[in-house]
Amino acid sequence: MAAAPDEFSGPDDLEERERTALETLCKRLADDEFVLAERYTEWQVRAPTLESDLALANNAQDELGHARLWYDVLGDLGFGERELVYERDPDDFRHSTLVERPFEDGNWADPVLRSYLYDVAEELRLEALADSSYPKIADRVEKIRSEESYHREHAQNWLERLADDEESRERLQATLDELFPHALTLFEPCAPPRDANEASGDKPRAVDPGIEADIVDLGLRTATLEELGEEWLSIVVPYLESLDLAVPIDGDDGFEVTAAALPDERGRDGTHTDAWAELYDEFTRTYRELGRDEPTTIMDAPE
Amino acid sequence: MNIDTVKERAGPREFSPADELPREYREAATRMIEFHANSEIMGAYLERPFIRQAPSIDRKLAFSAKVQDEIGHGQLLYRAAESLGVKTREEMLDDLANGDGKFLNCFHYPMESWVETPMIAFFVDGAAMRRQATLRRTSWEPYAHAMDKVCFEEGFHVKHGEDILKELMSGSKKEQQMTQEAFEEWWPRIIQFFGPTDDKSTHHDFAASVGLKQQSNDDLRNAFLDQYIPKARKYGLEIPDEPRIRERDDGTYAVEEDDLNWDEFFTIAKNEFEPGLGQINGRKTAQEAVDWVRETIENDASAAGGHAPQAAD
Amino acid sequence: MIWEVFRQEKAGEYHTHCGNVHAPDREMAKQFAAVQHGRRKPTNSLWVVPQEEVGEIDGEDVAFGGTTDKSYRWATAYNTTGADAREVVESEDEQATAEKQRGDD
Repeated sequence: MAAAPDEFSGPDDLEERERTALETLCKRLADDEFVLAERYTEWQVRAPTLESDLALANNAQDELGHARLWYDVLGDLGFGERELVYERDPDDFRHSTLVERPFEDGNWADPVLRSYLYDVAEELRLEALADSSYPKIADRVEKIRSEESYHREHAQNWLERLADDEESRERLQATLDELFPHALTLFEPCAPPRDANEASGDKPRAVDPGIEADIVDLGLRTATLEELGEEWLSIVVPYLESLDLAVPIDGDDGFEVTAAALPDERGRDGTHTDAWAELYDEFTRTYRELGRDEPTTIMDAPE
Repeated sequence: MNIDTVKERAGPREFSPADELPREYREAATRMIEFHANSEIMGAYLERPFIRQAPSIDRKLAFSAKVQDEIGHGQLLYRAAESLGVKTREEMLDDLANGDGKFLNCFHYPMESWVETPMIAFFVDGAAMRRQATLRRTSWEPYAHAMDKVCFEEGFHVKHGEDILKELMSGSKKEQQMTQEAFEEWWPRIIQFFGPTDDKSTHHDFAASVGLKQQSNDDLRNAFLDQYIPKARKYGLEIPDEPRIRERDDGTYAVEEDDLNWDEFFTIAKNEFEPGLGQINGRKTAQEAVDWVRETIENDASAAGGHAPQAAD
Repeated sequence: MIWEVFRQEKAGEYHTHCGNVHAPDREMAKQFAAVQHGRRKPTNSLWVVPQEEVGEIDGEDVAFGGTTDKSYRWATAYNTTGADAREVVESEDEQATAEKQRGDD
């Protein structure tokens, strides 16, 4: 049976199963944050006002900082930023497709809504990591959490403001229709990570529910994806409805993420929208063009 | 207050919105601060692609923070300009979008590669900081206050730019070579940052006489060369042969101005330089795409009449 | 009605909060503030602001400046070579001081 939480004390002597669970968990966490931040920065120098520009840039930097913390946990398994970001096979990224979607020019409803959908999920996820059996994960939760409340309040302030205006609410609705299925992928199980020496294939790897079960059995996270998904729905659906928005999910199912509601590309399983390949290509461009073999660090490694 | 009194009283941080100032002063100050604010925005616009293209997470964070700061500086400066009562921030931003707003020559050029980033982030920002430090003594108090915060933050920008330069110049041969090439391309533009020599400058005399401007272009250019030529050399950059720069006996520098392309400079000053126009229009498109959000906010603000601030007396 | 009062000691300096006054309108608030807050300490100018118009956000509402490592936004994070320009040194010193004050909280 699973290791008792107190036995999961450090990186040494991890069994294969434990390594895979830890790697999968941290990649989903870090990749979400990294790619979301990457998208948020597109609003820099393009936000509706100077003040809102500053605020979204702040959130982008926060999320990047969180990605940095989660990637750093994987240092315990011998991975550095090079393997995890700049020289990683793009098919091996495990972020939800919610965060990789490009923004339509000027559609401010999107970052606001995306942020809300994501930040509620993140709060729940952090709650379920606060008592993680892996101390380094548990230790980092509080730092991240205290930055997240600003993000969620910021998103809600904007949502309420936009929903109050008829034309803006229509934009919100159209954006919600597009984003919502992708938001559900936040709670999808991951395909196993690729081995370092395994070539990238055309076919994505099959999702392995066993790994997700291990994550919970090993106490790395204390709630299942289903539980997180249901709780998330029980928060976001009534809230969005209170803003007179129609949530594109079948009400008869109650608060449950169903396969029918999911998009074709789910991110977690290694399938991504075309926008991801483009994005990956752009953010690795300098690194490749200059022939770098190590991403530059400015800050000390996180404690 | 008439203009003679203004000239008599003109000293550091002497005038505030509480003073009744002649239109001539307010217009000159608006023009100067608006130019400065526009430059922050257009500089940020030029640098923003490199948030994405930064070759590491830490560099990305720093670049995002830097671009964020520049927008923050724009915010401070537009407020300082707005407080002169000549133009609103919206009018200034609209003018910038329409191609009527003026800004620094360097931000009219395209920037395509990471190796160019220190040309802006170290040299142009370094040059700007030389000037900004003197503007903490400008006569328009809100401008001086904005400069306090700008100068406080700007040290990070220059150091970060310098750190990128240092990394590139201690990197591979290819990186060093690419950086040297970028330097050669940007160097004349950076020297032109300070504009033509004083006798050709149209606005200097008045701005100096009312204490808005604290140091002449020539003095600032000297101060820049004095500090940044040694820095460039220290990192292994070779100073291009042109423009010819001669060190005088008193340690100041004489730049052979005929070696610089002033036609291009003045084309830029009129916002008629092709790449710069592309940047102006690119920003315009982005600004227009979010007009609807600003309209929504403004509708809300006017609907909340009860909380509208009382008219100033 | 309560009015918050901000005093500027000399031209060019910042208006900083120094207290408040009860007054029925802005004109009287200015007159009362001039005496209550300007009669002894050096004063160049006072601002009066209706207290109800003042919004507040504090350290319990938001983690100012964040809780994760943001050292990338400080000049002190960068090691460069050779003497820096005077204004760069000043900025770095001011930042080092601010950083230290943040750390002392």
